[in-house]
Amino acid sequence: MNVLTDRRRERLLGYALIAPVAIFLGALVAYPFLSAIYLSLTEKTVGYPAHFVGLRNYEALLESGRFRIVAWNSAAFTVGSIAVKLVVGMAMALALHNVVRGNQFVRGILLLPWVIPTVVIALTWKWLMDLFRGLINVALIDVGAVTGGVHWLGDPTLAMASVITANVWRGFPFFGVSFLAAMQTVPQELYDAAAVDGAGSWEKFWRITLPSIKGVVAVVTLLSTIVTLNDFNIVYIMTRGGPGAATHIFATYSYELGIMSQRWGLSMAASMASLPLVALLIVAVVRYLHREEE
Amino acid sequence: MGTLAKKLAVLVALTAVLVPLPRPPAAAGKLSLWRLKTYIPPADKILDANAQECAKKAGLELAIQTYTFDDMWTKFTAAIESKTLPDIAELDAVGPARLANLGRLADVSDVVAAATKELGAILPNADGAVKFGGKYNAVPHYAIPLVLFYRPDILTKVGAEPPDTWEDIQKVSEKVKKAGVQEYPNGFPWNRTGDGYDPAMSLLWSYGAAWVDKSGKFTGIPKAAGVEALRVVTRAYLADKTSAFDYLSWSGATNNEAFMAGKITFTPNGPSILYQEESTQHPLLKDTAIKVMPKGPAGRNLALTFVMNWAVPTDGKSQKEAKALIGCVMARENFVKYMQGSFRQMVPLFAKPLDDPYWNTPTGKIVVETVKQGHPVGWPGPTTPAAAEVVSGNVLTDMITRVIVDKVTPEAAIDEANKRMKEIYDRLPVK
Repeated sequence: MNVLTDRRRERLLGYALIAPVAIFLGALVAYPFLSAIYLSLTEKTVGYPAHFVGLRNYEALLESGRFRIVAWNSAAFTVGSIAVKLVVGMAMALALHNVVRGNQFVRGILLLPWVIPTVVIALTWKWLMDLFRGLINVALIDVGAVTGGVHWLGDPTLAMASVITANVWRGFPFFGVSFLAAMQTVPQELYDAAAVDGAGSWEKFWRITLPSIKGVVAVVTLLSTIVTLNDFNIVYIMTRGGPGAATHIFATYSYELGIMSQRWGLSMAASMASLPLVALLIVAVVRYLHREEE
Repeated sequence: MGTLAKKLAVLVALTAVLVPLPRPPAAAGKLSLWRLKTYIPPADKILDANAQECAKKAGLELAIQTYTFDDMWTKFTAAIESKTLPDIAELDAVGPARLANLGRLADVSDVVAAATKELGAILPNADGAVKFGGKYNAVPHYAIPLVLFYRPDILTKVGAEPPDTWEDIQKVSEKVKKAGVQEYPNGFPWNRTGDGYDPAMSLLWSYGAAWVDKSGKFTGIPKAAGVEALRVVTRAYLADKTSAFDYLSWSGATNNEAFMAGKITFTPNGPSILYQEESTQHPLLKDTAIKVMPKGPAGRNLALTFVMNWAVPTDGKSQKEAKALIGCVMARENFVKYMQGSFRQMVPLFAKPLDDPYWNTPTGKIVVETVKQGHPVGWPGPTTPAAAEVVSGNVLTDMITRVIVDKVTPEAAIDEANKRMKEIYDRLPVK
């Protein structure tokens, strides 16, 4: 009886200990998330009561040419950013993995972009890419590479490449450091054995390194995809979605709809648009990791 | 069990401390005031001092919070939904229409009546942004008018007169470019800031391309006039190449920077460039001039987008005290002190202070003239929530950039804009 009471006490204490976390998660994650889903199914203008309209907001978005541009831009921004971060991050990890002297120092320097506030990064890149006074254009003109300033933030294609560049600069250290940590767990014996069999650097990377760290690669890519898909600051500060709507993405579009136009229902639907894709990605990665564990 | 109870009590107490509770409305004797943080800190200081002095005289405790043009609607959106608007709110040009339509603003006709006794009549063109259904829902505070900045030295160099029409701006820009003085002299940014949508309204209205009638009801942009207006300004980007596409991505400050860096000949802006140049003794100060924004075939119909108005939200429990405080801040002595400390940026919307000798300078006369000729958002009707959304949703500037960036024809861009506006006016019908 005494044992049972102790167990009960223990269970109660367990619940009590997780209660604050559960309350916080419920209040700060679950409630806003479910509210957003509900609001996306309503005609809700700020200050007015919400009216349930089912999927009408989603239908309106699908019919909107502007939303299609925004969806395409979001895809280009996300895929472009992730692809480059993956390559640069891997290069950073491989380089650091083989650096013996000054490894910690270099690692610290390369982590800087990740710890600098995004607003500072966006403002810095905006200035670097300014048509008239930007360091990049001034340098290119000075060395005679171009005769006039390049329209980094004005040409629709270059503007997208420019915001991707800023995003990559901020995000690649996360990839690099994660990959490096994973690489350092790969047993040296595998490389030694491969060397005995005559494997070169590329074969060692392709057949040993990459398969050994693919779990980390998958998780890091997934996390970064979610964050990049919801990025706001870089685009808003550098181009405000311009020129025209050339860099307008889900987050800036949702802001324009929800805050400036006060259309919460439609804004929530726009911000929920990427949810199925993110959910699919999460399911895919989780299933992959489970399979790996088995 | 006693220990467990203690642990639970500690957890509950911690949760209670950490979980934020809704802010209770200000108690009697305390007032909250939200105002715009302007780019003239000395003027902001005078305003705060005036307001605090007024509060002190009335035995009130005044808490002032600020916002910028960029985060104003983020702050107000949250407050509207949580019913925590302040006792006194300084609202932008579209704020009174939006909040009055929600029934969230007190009638301040009595405050306006008292202010007109001291400051003279409200300018007739300012009424449309603050007077709804025959009563005032806000008291006009000041306007920051957009004027045309230009470089007289460059115009002299190319033998051109200061432009007076939209066509003139294009022609002079071409001359400047051809003379090799500047590559992209025409700094009109059709972007997602006030420097984009304010001139967009002035442009359309001066070509007779308003989208509403005098009652504020939607009529649509007339195709012929709209096309003419679009052709004249998109030419700078597409044919003459006197504007760079980069201008379409500018923030509200980038055109100031480009002008002060000597890279553009024209740009629409509030008088802030003058303030910056004067306060830094900028070398271009002597080569900077302003002019009233251009006219078109239908006349000079300027927009007044940067207008700030005092309002008393009905969320507050101290509306009487709030009104008294606004009345005190708008009292002649206080208002003139503020106006004269504003480096000629904050232009009154009442008749008497506009006649103050303070404005009797070459630039002062131009900003006063601009305010006198300005029209509220949604002209020729009053400002309505639908007109507010047309502007804040960037419908007008999107229409222009569709032609420039996406190479849509002006006719198709107008059709698209009219479709978007019709949806807005159907959803937010004009009462």
